[in-house]
Amino acid sequence: MVFVPLLLTWVAAAALALMDGRRRSVGWLAVGALAAGLAATAVLAGMVLDGGARETVAGDWPPGIGIVLRADALGVVFAVVSGVVLLAALAYEVAAGVSSRLFPAVVLFLATGLTGLFLTADVFSFYVFFELSMIAAYVLAYYGGEARQLGAGFIFAVVNLLGSFLFLLAVAGTYHVTGTLAMETVAQRIAGVEPNTVILIAVGFFVAFGVKLGLFPFHFWLPTVYVSASPSVAAMLSGAVANIGSYGLLRFGAGILPAELRLGAVALIILGTASIVYGAIQAVSRRTAAEVLAYSAVGQAGYVLIALGVGGPVGLAAAVVYSLANALNKALLFLSVELRGWLVGAAFVIGAFSVAGIPPTAGFFGKVELFRAGVAEDSVALVALIFLGGAVSFLYMFQIYQHDFWRGERRGAASPRALRGMAVGLAVVVVTLGLWPEPLLAAGRRAAEVLMGPT
Amino acid sequence: MTFLLALGVGVLFGAGAYLLLKPDLFRIVVGIVLIANAANLALLASGLRRGRSPIYPLEGGEPSDPLVQAMAITAIVIGFAVTALLLSLAYRVYASSRTVDLDELSQAEVSRERELEREEVSV
Repeated sequence: MVFVPLLLTWVAAAALALMDGRRRSVGWLAVGALAAGLAATAVLAGMVLDGGARETVAGDWPPGIGIVLRADALGVVFAVVSGVVLLAALAYEVAAGVSSRLFPAVVLFLATGLTGLFLTADVFSFYVFFELSMIAAYVLAYYGGEARQLGAGFIFAVVNLLGSFLFLLAVAGTYHVTGTLAMETVAQRIAGVEPNTVILIAVGFFVAFGVKLGLFPFHFWLPTVYVSASPSVAAMLSGAVANIGSYGLLRFGAGILPAELRLGAVALIILGTASIVYGAIQAVSRRTAAEVLAYSAVGQAGYVLIALGVGGPVGLAAAVVYSLANALNKALLFLSVELRGWLVGAAFVIGAFSVAGIPPTAGFFGKVELFRAGVAEDSVALVALIFLGGAVSFLYMFQIYQHDFWRGERRGAASPRALRGMAVGLAVVVVTLGLWPEPLLAAGRRAAEVLMGPT
Repeated sequence: MTFLLALGVGVLFGAGAYLLLKPDLFRIVVGIVLIANAANLALLASGLRRGRSPIYPLEGGEPSDPLVQAMAITAIVIGFAVTALLLSLAYRVYASSRTVDLDELSQAEVSRERELEREEVSV
């Protein structure tokens, strides 16, 4: 069962790579395949959330020898949310008209890589799926093929490759000290290894995922890429690919190296604060919507880091809920960036409310969970920081709204209905999760339980 | 041997990092290739044990861990694909801008933006 969503998108991607993706029919075929993959992931998610984790060992090897695919609560919720984002963004681009032959196939490869890395229980196959999705992301980053997209794509590829190879070095270190690649066994054995070595490995993992997430000291590639990419690609990069960073920090930090995570908690909270402050200041001072959103992404990554630093069941649940809500917000906002019409304005307002944490949106519950984490930590400073961060994000989001929708920069004929439909569809998802947050919160709790281990 | 391998990884990584800082697209690609190989070498070294032959022991005895070699070859293949992608990307940058110098590229970018602003003002 764990194989199904992977195989569906992978086979479809390989077949579609041979066809001309610029044709409408091929594009919609890709949307259909992605939707089927997402449906399979959703069914798997339902089974996992109801009846506990599912495991498949590749090639019928005995467990401990074969490579294990394992779907647990943390993995499936990230897989489902990334799938929703990819589906909306791909449908948007197909409706707008794909300009490159390979675009639909590459998006499907990206979906395969992401699903794979969220569902694997093996450190090295994590790296393989990680590279699969990152290579697809490099190709997407220069989609459009203009000079500045090519330049931005090159920078994106080089910086993230450096991150990937640091990850590979950390994997080599992990294998050297534990002699195994299965995540569960690694977590057991690494607890008994000499701390200095493990800290070095933990730092390697942290830098690798920090680059993906665009945290403050590693963010320098992010604005250029998000600003120059086309709206659908920016939505995919910020709403799906960036999830690798937060998932990786949760899985490797809280799941495999909990002792080192506790040791580095203060550093994480400081870096998270720096991310929030830096992102907010930069975002307030920018004028174009894409730039504001790009710096806002740097700031939002900081909240995940703070929640991770607080740790414990409350902090980890907050990190999960916040990253999921944030992925949906970012996808919604980037998709609506170049559209016109009052419906788009409404969708944009919902996204803006969600980023600022105003009900009834998914972002509100992300913020509530963060406040709970701050209260659990007994820290007035953290609660104040989260509140101020929210207030500043309200400010910069409404600067865009005022500039684009009130002052008439985006008045004029409304965009095609199909394009507006995608933005509105994501907005409906965000509002639904705001009105009925139980699935989101339950997923966060279950994921935190997975990470904390059976208690 | 472990020391020599560690030295090799360090030198490869250092040389790669140095090349990454150069303002020339092709040097940057070579830098990434060197860093990829530093990671491959580290992967190979992580499974070696003192006194065991790495693959096919001639005088009996157990061979060293073969899993790291499987991992290294996977990593090599991925590194190869990534290098091809980067080179094609660098070539497309060259084909559209006629330069591989990062400073010149960013200067062209700045002047293009100024022109766009001037057009907006005149409109």
